[in-house]
Amino acid sequence: MPPTHQRLFYREAIVRALRETMADDPRVFVMGQDVGAFGGAYREFDGLFAAFGPARVRDTPVAEAAMIGIGVGAAAAGLRPVVSITYMDFLMLGLDPLVNYAAKLSYKTGGQLHAPIVIKTTAGAKGQGVAHSQCIESWLMGVPGLKLVCPSNPADAYGLMVAALEDPGPVIFVDHKKLFPVPGDVPVARYRTPIGTAKIIRAGSDITIATYSYMTRVAHQAADLLINEGISCEVIDLRSLIPLDAALVAQSVARTKNLLTLEEGQVTCGVGSEVAAQVQRRLGPVRVHRVGALPAPVSSNPVLEAACIPNAQRLVDEIKFFINATNPECLHP
Amino acid sequence: MTRHEMLYSMKLIRAFENALAAHPDHGFQLLSAGEEAVAVGVCAALAPQDQLLTGGRSIGFALARGLTPAEVMAELLGKSTGTNRGKGGRGHLSAPAQGFFGAHAVVAGNISIAAGVALARLMTGDPGIAVVVFGDGASGAGILHETLNIAALWRLPVLFICNNNQLSVSTPRQAVLAPKMISDLALAYGITARTFDGMQVDIVAEAVANAVQAIRSGAGPAFLEFTSCRFAAHSTAARETRSRDELQRLRLACPIMDLTAALLTTGQINHEALATMDSDVSDKVAAALNFADASPFPDAAEALSDVF
Amino acid sequence: MIYKLSVPAIAEDIEEFRVLEWHGGIGTPFNTGDMVVELETHKAIIEMRAGQAGILRVISVPDGAWCKIGVPLGLCSDSLDETLPEQTEATADMLVEFEIA
Repeated sequence: MPPTHQRLFYREAIVRALRETMADDPRVFVMGQDVGAFGGAYREFDGLFAAFGPARVRDTPVAEAAMIGIGVGAAAAGLRPVVSITYMDFLMLGLDPLVNYAAKLSYKTGGQLHAPIVIKTTAGAKGQGVAHSQCIESWLMGVPGLKLVCPSNPADAYGLMVAALEDPGPVIFVDHKKLFPVPGDVPVARYRTPIGTAKIIRAGSDITIATYSYMTRVAHQAADLLINEGISCEVIDLRSLIPLDAALVAQSVARTKNLLTLEEGQVTCGVGSEVAAQVQRRLGPVRVHRVGALPAPVSSNPVLEAACIPNAQRLVDEIKFFINATNPECLHP
Repeated sequence: MTRHEMLYSMKLIRAFENALAAHPDHGFQLLSAGEEAVAVGVCAALAPQDQLLTGGRSIGFALARGLTPAEVMAELLGKSTGTNRGKGGRGHLSAPAQGFFGAHAVVAGNISIAAGVALARLMTGDPGIAVVVFGDGASGAGILHETLNIAALWRLPVLFICNNNQLSVSTPRQAVLAPKMISDLALAYGITARTFDGMQVDIVAEAVANAVQAIRSGAGPAFLEFTSCRFAAHSTAARETRSRDELQRLRLACPIMDLTAALLTTGQINHEALATMDSDVSDKVAAALNFADASPFPDAAEALSDVF
Repeated sequence: MIYKLSVPAIAEDIEEFRVLEWHGGIGTPFNTGDMVVELETHKAIIEMRAGQAGILRVISVPDGAWCKIGVPLGLCSDSLDETLPEQTEATADMLVEFEIA
């Protein structure tokens, strides 16, 4: 019997989804900096240039606003572009065509036009400094019309990319620098991971950790350490931030009675704030604790970067504090 | 398009906008008296398969492109029978099936979008081109330069048109743009670029026809600047900063009056035909107003439709 | 003497890599500088070259298979007649060099 799964690096899962979809659908093309023969900053476009040529794998100048604007225009006119924005920090340069045009297009034209574009970008801290490390997913969560996915492993990266490429869009696909070295088993058969579905990736009974992207690994590490302390953690990978599967988180919290949100970005108006509010809307008051980066820029200095970003030991400390606190949000500084 | 038809089209725009401004529930609107020759001249040179994109000041372009006064009036007054089912409104008119991809009211916001439409046409072998109209106010925005560069590099079938009405709200163009001519901006990217008088509809139509022909033949993008003049304030809600005397002087160079005079002088039209034209225009505008007034607003539940 | 072919943490962050291709089968002799096996990480293809002469005796991770950092890829020996041990934990590491292809 042929194998049902193949082991792939995270980048290979992305490129497989692109390669298969581009072969099936001539409307799909890629544009971005260094996506051509170079194959992308993380080799996540490896082989596409050789397979599909320069018309469908287009190197661009460093011009994020025009890259997104041209991508959105091409999408509105019937194509399905994938625009690569190397680092999420640089998405800021292209927010006008994304937020003011693409996100509103279907609404403002009364459904005459749509923008089936995928914007693929890379977030996260990995020694690159204050303007190349940010996780600004929550900034986008208040923009009606956008969808936002943040896969934490190769199988979801493949399934969510396939789903994004078939979606009426616009979809922002956010990967993470520290996920590229991670391999994982990916089903060989073509499939899509529905946008808007979270997943319980570790069952537990004492606390629900709602997180996504690279922080799912930090959550796992902390959960391993806490077994010895007699604390059983359930970990939920949100996978999609718009739409947000708050129902699954609420089901889990209904059992564990404790919700801890974990993100690499800022806690203030962060992903966790929204998760907590939506869970409380379903369950009434629940114990909530939000964990994220310190309220400071993310330095390239290794000591300062590590101090800023949540790690397993800090998460262990936060969870122990939270579980034992009578009123965590009031007590914590 | 004949000169008669161009005159008719300009008169229709002027009468339509006057009627809209006089409508008690018009909100505020971006009108274009004085700039009709640019709208009509541009559209006279386009084919049905071309797509036109504009900035917010778009009523003239929408009408000149052939959208009916009734559907445009309904949209601008927020009615569900409008081009966008009342959901776009001022600055966002859109009818892609009629070659009017749409207006977008963010200054300079449609420039890169147009290049994307052109890219789609290039990649699919569609014979139409994309034409984007923006103002002098948009010409200082970075996105224009990013887009010109990529359009030139990829030889996109896109025509950039700067309708230089010489004012960004109240700020004169000379106060905020360094280049001698706005069209000079495109020359740096190797794009054919010229500046013409935007008050003469014949000149506009000919310049656009020539540029469109070159783009269709695969020459890559082109850039045209038309110098025009806005006769009224930025919007129906904005303060006018020019003096009454200055406005009176500016309004003497009117594209509609100029073409009328030219047609009368050469005997191409007579006063009787002009009167018939005026009465037809005013009937059309009245009918559009009646249609819009009689049309319903969208249901409040529409606030949540077409979002995703 | 018997040696194991180990892959240390050749680059930052690498937890696991793919064995692309062994250059030679069981019993293949090689000299210093010969390519023994090609590996692929998330970033690059890496050539593992012999840092001493020897003979390839055991391939534990075949072409196309995955290997975690620290797990031996196979065993080598100075001569063909040396008996292979049952346990490899105490075996010395073969001298190797890595080159990014």
